[in-house]
Amino acid sequence: MSAQLSLSEMDLPRRNGELAFDAPWQSTVFALAAAVVDHAFGGDREPFRRQLIKAIADEPGRPYWESWTAALEALVETLPDGPHRDET
Amino acid sequence: MSEEGHHPAALSPVEQRVAALEALLTERGLVPEGFIEEITRRYESEIGPMNGAKVVARAWADPEYKQRLLAEGTAAIAELGFGGEEGEHMVVVENTAAVHNVVVCTLCSCYPWPVLGLPPAWYKDPPYRARMVREPRALLAEMGCQLPGDVEIRVWDSSAEVRYLVLPQRPPGTERMTEAELAGLVTRDSMIGVARL
Repeated sequence: MSAQLSLSEMDLPRRNGELAFDAPWQSTVFALAAAVVDHAFGGDREPFRRQLIKAIADEPGRPYWESWTAALEALVETLPDGPHRDET
Repeated sequence: MSEEGHHPAALSPVEQRVAALEALLTERGLVPEGFIEEITRRYESEIGPMNGAKVVARAWADPEYKQRLLAEGTAAIAELGFGGEEGEHMVVVENTAAVHNVVVCTLCSCYPWPVLGLPPAWYKDPPYRARMVREPRALLAEMGCQLPGDVEIRVWDSSAEVRYLVLPQRPPGTERMTEAELAGLVTRDSMIGVARL
């Protein structure tokens, strides 16, 4: 059952400051979620977190950043239409 | 794969979805110019377990700081300049000869970003999230952390409200080390609690 645990991570325990992303789209979607949290929800991360929890629960075996993407898509669906800013 | 090159037609389905999100959110004015590059740069080069390592080293070197850290984690960590998103409510739990602490997030991937950076892949995987609660001793052993049978294991479930950081035991033979040298000994995994130093 532990096959999905990436033991290669354990081979580099002192990789402080390691790269967290395996592909550019992953860092992009990470930053996009930060942008939405900051600029559409006034810094409140809870709505995104709820979507992420749901996305992971919906498909537990799905790669993490794909669940993250699904969560952001679902969150964007809840935004009112049109340009939206609540911060300068 | 490689013969497809990098032209847009080679985008995978998830890459296409992310590109669509980026276009939509940019059009709606939610993604300032340079924001994605800035966030990526910060998380790849400035925010990471090296920050947590400094906190641990200070606690080892300064007993009064350690007291403050265990009593008021967020404030003590802020003394070293670390804080902000995903690190507002930090609780530091101390490993001793009798107690070993380990951190998990059973719901998703809550993690103290300011002191550990982004979570490693295995922290987010369902087997880790489920098994660390159900059979921590066996999973820790599989991950290379063998604990004597008389050591109590405490599993802390991170949440939106509380983020945990493990204060590892100071390794023997390090009495003459400087704080910076001590920080170099501290690993990310030891601060999650899946390794001992």
